[in-house]
Amino acid sequence: MIRDLKRVRNIGISAHIDSGKTTLTERILFYTARIHKINEVRGKDGVGAIMDSMDLERERGITIASAATYCEWNNHNINIIDTPGHVDFTVEVERSLRVLDGVILVLCSVSGVQSQSITVDQQMKRYQVPCIAFVNKCDRSGANPAKVSAQLRDKLGHNSVLMQLPIGLEDKHEGIIDLVSMRALYFEGDNGEQVVVKDIPANMMDEAKTTREKMIDAVSLFSEALTDAILEEKEITTELIMDAVRTGTISRQMTPVFLGSAYKNKAVQPLLDAVVNYLPSPLDIENHAIDMDNNEETVILESSFDKPTVALAFKLEDGQYGQLTYIRVYQGCIDKGDTLINSRDGKKFKAGRLIRMHSSQMEDVDALPAGHIGAMFGIDCASGDTFVSPQINYTLLAMHIMEPVISLSIVPKDNKAQINMSKALNRFTKEDPTFKTYVDRETGDTIIQGMGELHLEVYVERMKREYAAEVTTGQPRVAYRETITQKALFNYTHKKQTGGAGQYGRVSGFLEPCDEDFIFVNKVTGGRIPSNYIPACEHGFKGCMDKGPKLEFPVTGIKVTLEDGAYHAVDSSDMAFKAAARGGFLEGYAKAKPVIKEPIMKVVIETPNEFQGSCMGLINQRRGIIQGSQEEGGIMSVIESQVPLSEMFGFSTILRSATQGKAQFTMEFSIYKQVPQSVAEEIVRKKLEEKPKK
Amino acid sequence: MLKKDLILKSPVSQTLGIENVKDGRFGAVISRAGVGKTSFLVQIAITQLLRNEKILHISLVEPIEKINLRYNDGYANLIDSIGYVDPQKAVRLWEDVCTNKVGISYNESTFDTEKVRDYLKSFKKADLTLPSIIIMDGLNFDKDVSGTLEKLDHLSRDFSIFIWFSIKSHREEKLCDDGYPIQLETYKDLFDKAIFLNPVEDKIEAVILKDGTRTDQIFKLDSATMMIAEKE
Repeated sequence: MIRDLKRVRNIGISAHIDSGKTTLTERILFYTARIHKINEVRGKDGVGAIMDSMDLERERGITIASAATYCEWNNHNINIIDTPGHVDFTVEVERSLRVLDGVILVLCSVSGVQSQSITVDQQMKRYQVPCIAFVNKCDRSGANPAKVSAQLRDKLGHNSVLMQLPIGLEDKHEGIIDLVSMRALYFEGDNGEQVVVKDIPANMMDEAKTTREKMIDAVSLFSEALTDAILEEKEITTELIMDAVRTGTISRQMTPVFLGSAYKNKAVQPLLDAVVNYLPSPLDIENHAIDMDNNEETVILESSFDKPTVALAFKLEDGQYGQLTYIRVYQGCIDKGDTLINSRDGKKFKAGRLIRMHSSQMEDVDALPAGHIGAMFGIDCASGDTFVSPQINYTLLAMHIMEPVISLSIVPKDNKAQINMSKALNRFTKEDPTFKTYVDRETGDTIIQGMGELHLEVYVERMKREYAAEVTTGQPRVAYRETITQKALFNYTHKKQTGGAGQYGRVSGFLEPCDEDFIFVNKVTGGRIPSNYIPACEHGFKGCMDKGPKLEFPVTGIKVTLEDGAYHAVDSSDMAFKAAARGGFLEGYAKAKPVIKEPIMKVVIETPNEFQGSCMGLINQRRGIIQGSQEEGGIMSVIESQVPLSEMFGFSTILRSATQGKAQFTMEFSIYKQVPQSVAEEIVRKKLEEKPKK
Repeated sequence: MLKKDLILKSPVSQTLGIENVKDGRFGAVISRAGVGKTSFLVQIAITQLLRNEKILHISLVEPIEKINLRYNDGYANLIDSIGYVDPQKAVRLWEDVCTNKVGISYNESTFDTEKVRDYLKSFKKADLTLPSIIIMDGLNFDKDVSGTLEKLDHLSRDFSIFIWFSIKSHREEKLCDDGYPIQLETYKDLFDKAIFLNPVEDKIEAVILKDGTRTDQIFKLDSATMMIAEKE
């Protein structure tokens, strides 16, 4: 393992579904000699890509779990995380970005910047991850890398700069021109492994010169030396250009754009050079933690091996040998046998077996130094936990995790399935923070919750395959919420005298809508409610948020202001004030015009032009709001819309039949919005129908 | 209240009259490039949105992001024109009304009215209120558009929708004897309303060429915001 951190890269490969991320990773592993044969994602060889280690992934041709792997290129150690493109698995992407230093943003040269590219871009912005772009599929009909580069600029606001030119496009795509070295690169051999350097074809020289000038002009902003060389008309060396590109990329002020076709084995090696040359090493990135012993002050982590260890568990997997915890070490070094502390619960543990992952195969290592990604066995922890040396108490900032929006009841077919199902659920919930499960106390059903139909479908399928847990699923249910729409006063006295000590407590104040989930404000003065009962009041109010009085959906967006109250020297207690708070909440809630809110999804449909009208019609029929539609490249149209999740069940089948299977869509949670009156009435009716059954 | 104020202040209420905007089948805003045809059309659309009506904005020249930007700017100009407004209120109102706007960007070469028809049919199928107007921006009247206009005329009749067009005139061309730009002359019978935007010094004159019996009324607009500058 390389200890010189300048020669380490932790990168991710992110993009829209089907842009060819896994294919690209497969090629990278082949060229870096980590694998000796290329398997295609949906290959006829029946093997599937090496990074898609789950059977289900190989079968569907999608990447579900992000597999970590590493390789070496030009004496550099590159740790790669392959991430899923489907938005239902966005948490995987979020997790990867949290621990990565740089990203290859893969874009399709035909479809350009698609909806998931936009989502990934927002995530990259959130974690300030620098990126380089790879315009893939230049061999496809309709390929237009220049258009994609322009879209990066227009749609994502990147300062995109073309670093290469394609030699031929579509079926004539032969190679690329490297604008830095001004050489033409061709890729020969059965798998494009021989990079043949030639002179630039004469017919492309002018175009190459003009594009190079534009490139140098754009990157000169990031290097005074380069600017000086231009102004003084000195020789512009490749080193000068590369330094400027590296500075611009790491500071996220520019995105160098590379081109090729991973599937056709074209121009993957120059992309690896770019990873090494332009993406940051762990030393170039500043990572922060919070010092819990020092007023939660932010501290900067140093990628030094001598400092106390700080590492983040970013992914859990349950393998043959127990739980496998993927970690990124930010500071210090984890050696075998080191004592570490999980800063979340303060539990001490010893670092046992340390490994480096190569998809599902593993290699034992003695130590994991700062800046590296690896995995540990036998640690009981949750995703997002921070591991530190005993002498410090740091915690790394938590990842952005979204609340699930869809739920499904599952019933095991027999007793054996019941046992296996609970094992599976235990593992899945630890692995994936957006996947949750609970038992409905009233029906006794096990409910699973997630980010979309496909998300839950995959877990049900995995239960069946990996745990032999046969389950029957119920109708998917939408995670409705309740909230209030206006301010309302409450003044409630809880008084009970049933022999012995009584119960007495009075609370008075108001409820009002707010943007946070729940806010409690104590404005009681003069000891009208003794301060030791205030937490009980807060607890009482908060307890009401789990199940709304209107339809028993969770309540959100309420600010409770407690202004006044009364107590009794003998009869008041925590319990009495809790009960008073519950009564006050119910009183105020009824007057505050409660409404039901439903999750609204951002739905993006990509369809051939001829079906654009009917696709927009499908959105209309589903209470959807079309935000816009745009024709792309004369063949396809993209329709962006917002549609209630409750209307989207089974949409993939409907869309397929309406467009002869030619359209595809992506869906992700956008916002909670109030349900229209007519729909609310329907929800109430269904809820009432369900009640007698229970 | 804010809605009412905005509608009253709109250049559309003052030049065309709010009820009058969709009285008939076709309307045209004509001017040279860059004077403000689309901005004026956007103001027409915004007044409809403020009346809780749906609108469909079709552009053959601009991408969807640009269309959305024009609406945001148009609304901001309208808000600015009435003095101080609680910014939160203004944002909330816009979030509320702009859900009734659908923007579609077509390539001119592949534009087909059938796609629009398919879309409008879905409103009827789902028993939804149809858009009250369509903004048709970027149809090239320098070419023969009689076929497209005929189809759009049918569309307008079938779905009872008023269609507003932008028509680009050229600096070097003279107006016809009846004061119409040459691009509109051939099709003038199809149009119930026509406004000509003419830049004069730092203002823009909105000349009502045709609107029922009204003709040749002139209004002055601010060239930056398209709000009424001074009535003559």
